[in-house]
Amino acid sequence: MENLQMLFMGFSVVLTLENVLVTMLGAVLGLIVGAMPGIGSLAGVALLLPLTYKFNPTTAIIMLGSLYYANMYGGSFSAILLNIPGDSPAVMTALDGYPMATKRNRPGQALFTANMSSFIGGLIGMLILTFMGPLLADLGLKFGPAEMTALLLVAMTSIGWLVGESPTKGVVLTMVGILLASMGMDTLTGSPRYDFGNMYLLGGIPFTPFVIGAVGFSQVLKLMEERNKKVEAHLNQKLTIRGSLLTLHDFRRLVPPAIRSGFMGTFVGVLPGAGATTGAFLGYAAQKAFKSEEPLGSGAIEGIASCEAANNAAAAGSFAPLLALGIPGSGTGAVLLGGLMMWGLNPGPLLFSTNPDFAWGLIASLFLANLLTLIIALGIIPFLVKILTVPVKMLIPIITVVCVVGGYSTSNSMYGVIIMFLSGLFGYILDRNGYGVAPMLLAFVLAPLLESNMRKAFIISHGSMGIFFEKPIAAFLIIVLFAIILTPVIKFVLRKAGVLKK
Amino acid sequence: MRKIALVLTMALLVSVAVFAGAQAEAQAGGAFTPSKNIDWYVTSSPGGGSDIFTRTIMDIAVAEDLLNGQNVVVQYKTDGAGEVGRLLVSQIRAGVQADHTLLTFNSGDLMPMLKNTNNRFENFQAIAHMAVDKHLIFVGEMSKYKSFEEVLAALKRGERMVLGGSKGDDIACHAALIAELGVTQDQLSYIAHDATSGAITAILGGHFDLLISKPAAASQYVEAGKITPILALSTSRFPGNLNSAPTLSEFGYKNVEVPNWRSIVAPKSMSAEAVAYWTDVFKKVSATETWNKGYIEKQKLVPDYMDAATFTTYGMNFQKEYLASIGKDK
Repeated sequence: MENLQMLFMGFSVVLTLENVLVTMLGAVLGLIVGAMPGIGSLAGVALLLPLTYKFNPTTAIIMLGSLYYANMYGGSFSAILLNIPGDSPAVMTALDGYPMATKRNRPGQALFTANMSSFIGGLIGMLILTFMGPLLADLGLKFGPAEMTALLLVAMTSIGWLVGESPTKGVVLTMVGILLASMGMDTLTGSPRYDFGNMYLLGGIPFTPFVIGAVGFSQVLKLMEERNKKVEAHLNQKLTIRGSLLTLHDFRRLVPPAIRSGFMGTFVGVLPGAGATTGAFLGYAAQKAFKSEEPLGSGAIEGIASCEAANNAAAAGSFAPLLALGIPGSGTGAVLLGGLMMWGLNPGPLLFSTNPDFAWGLIASLFLANLLTLIIALGIIPFLVKILTVPVKMLIPIITVVCVVGGYSTSNSMYGVIIMFLSGLFGYILDRNGYGVAPMLLAFVLAPLLESNMRKAFIISHGSMGIFFEKPIAAFLIIVLFAIILTPVIKFVLRKAGVLKK
Repeated sequence: MRKIALVLTMALLVSVAVFAGAQAEAQAGGAFTPSKNIDWYVTSSPGGGSDIFTRTIMDIAVAEDLLNGQNVVVQYKTDGAGEVGRLLVSQIRAGVQADHTLLTFNSGDLMPMLKNTNNRFENFQAIAHMAVDKHLIFVGEMSKYKSFEEVLAALKRGERMVLGGSKGDDIACHAALIAELGVTQDQLSYIAHDATSGAITAILGGHFDLLISKPAAASQYVEAGKITPILALSTSRFPGNLNSAPTLSEFGYKNVEVPNWRSIVAPKSMSAEAVAYWTDVFKKVSATETWNKGYIEKQKLVPDYMDAATFTTYGMNFQKEYLASIGKDK
């Protein structure tokens, strides 16, 4: 149990007054940053990074680590209460979180579910990280371009039937998302695509303003229509922690998906470039295969639990390649890596042996941050829920301001704000015509990954499809892909032939 | 009484003269000193290579008290893959703002700018060239080849292989290498990753055979025995743990190198006095020990300070050659 020993040593590093305070500060900042649409973990860590240059590295990484981590909690707040995802993984949380808070009138429980499953998912991720970190990182390495392509294809094909009632509409929106994502520089050669001679479009459509607009601002437009309606969510529950507690039955519904997603999310977090969004998405997709008491998308506890647990686990998992190999698993990881270098450490395969107090201190601080964030988050639920009692008339300008600030803060320019407004309008039109925007957003995130991995795979294989079948992991995933595509076709044929009853 | 007054007057006059002389000396070539915050633009995200470069210089300049007590505000302008920020700086009109604006500018910024926009190096005022970074080719533990001889032999046999690396100068390096070796893009193909770390991940997983990287990103992996340098794309071998890699000339080819330089530029409209001031500030920075030990050595760069005039000529030459290489030289 050498790892356990090292972990305890890590705790001895973390449990100094200074470091506990810093963890707490990171957790609070992370919650705020996560809850504010537009300022996700990437921006939060990047903004805070310059402030930490003068810290000692261990304290600095503990603060940023807990900020990154707490951010995964915060993202769900605005997703559940306002239907505006605070960060990209929370797009999935909004699918069930918002209906649960409004239609089912259980906002406190929805937040509680999100926090509790975040805790469980994160804990699983951290335990795996502690005992199998380097092993996991090695497994992540096996996922080269071919394997990633196959995995992403599986994810992409599931988008359509996963979200919303109509698969056809889902497929259409997936395509739209892919098209929009292809704007900007080509991922491999850097050649401009669909830039229409506009310098801003050279950098493509920035994701954060796009999400805030398509989900958040379109929500504002919808609210404008109903501005004179009375506040729908008349809260009949008490605004206390007790009033937000889950029943034992709720709890039983929450745990299995949270544990499943915890394992899966950790693994996805380890994969190169996949990150928490993909984790949350696959967690939710997998839940579709299991039983949920209420249908997913209608405010099911299972839906919230599956994606929230997965995204926290993925956040923990992404530390495995970062610490064991010096390889960032996400954009935020890359910024952290830059931080490590600035603090004078050499992130790389030698980090665990050259700076064990640092590496293990960070892991231990994640455990502490997980616990502290849960306590803080649960404590503020009653106050957060009050947002729902704000009259729509007042909510409209408030959310609009939040959206504008979020759009602006991505790159500190009005470009983000313009994108936010345009995508808000677009999202509203889609929504009015019965198209949910979630498939478009997911395709937007996954398409660039798919494109670059697929093209890399083809360069490696010199254009041969064989590469997807020769490697065992890729071959397995391709079989899964065919199973997903062919199952409905075969069912249809069998039904036509009368073999299968309708 | 009168004598005392005379002596006092004399003393005053002398001290004024000395002071004025010292002032004039300090501002030789003009009368510019920063009178407000300096806006220093960085066109990539915080935490990246350009950010580290900028902040290191900034910290040294502040510690050495070279900025007349003024602060530096780092502005991250990442829209349009950095092009928006670069255009903005190039268009700042003459005046106080222009004299207080700097931009971190690397060859990795120049190349996409030349390729994708009409903005050119001459639209900026070159200030100082600080250092260059060169490339090496590595093999991984799982690579088919163990040395560059084996690679050359395999290429002669007509085997195909894949080289992975980052964007920008790495791509230009690959192009120069295949031109010198006389092989086609098809035979020695290139995979561009967003960052070198992505390429390192892939070669550690054994997904291709050859890696191109600058020394700093690869050094830790070399030390851990995960990758081995087999070729130095430079005119001489690298020091330290990269010394085992021969240069191309040792195999009877011409040496290939595409140096990735790190520099500072300013708006074209910056006054001549300010240009003289800034180029001197960075000269002083480049002579400090913090710079040489804490940055150059750690990042494994080659220190190469050039003043404004030398760097202008160098940059224009670089631009001409690059434009010719991508067929954009009219």
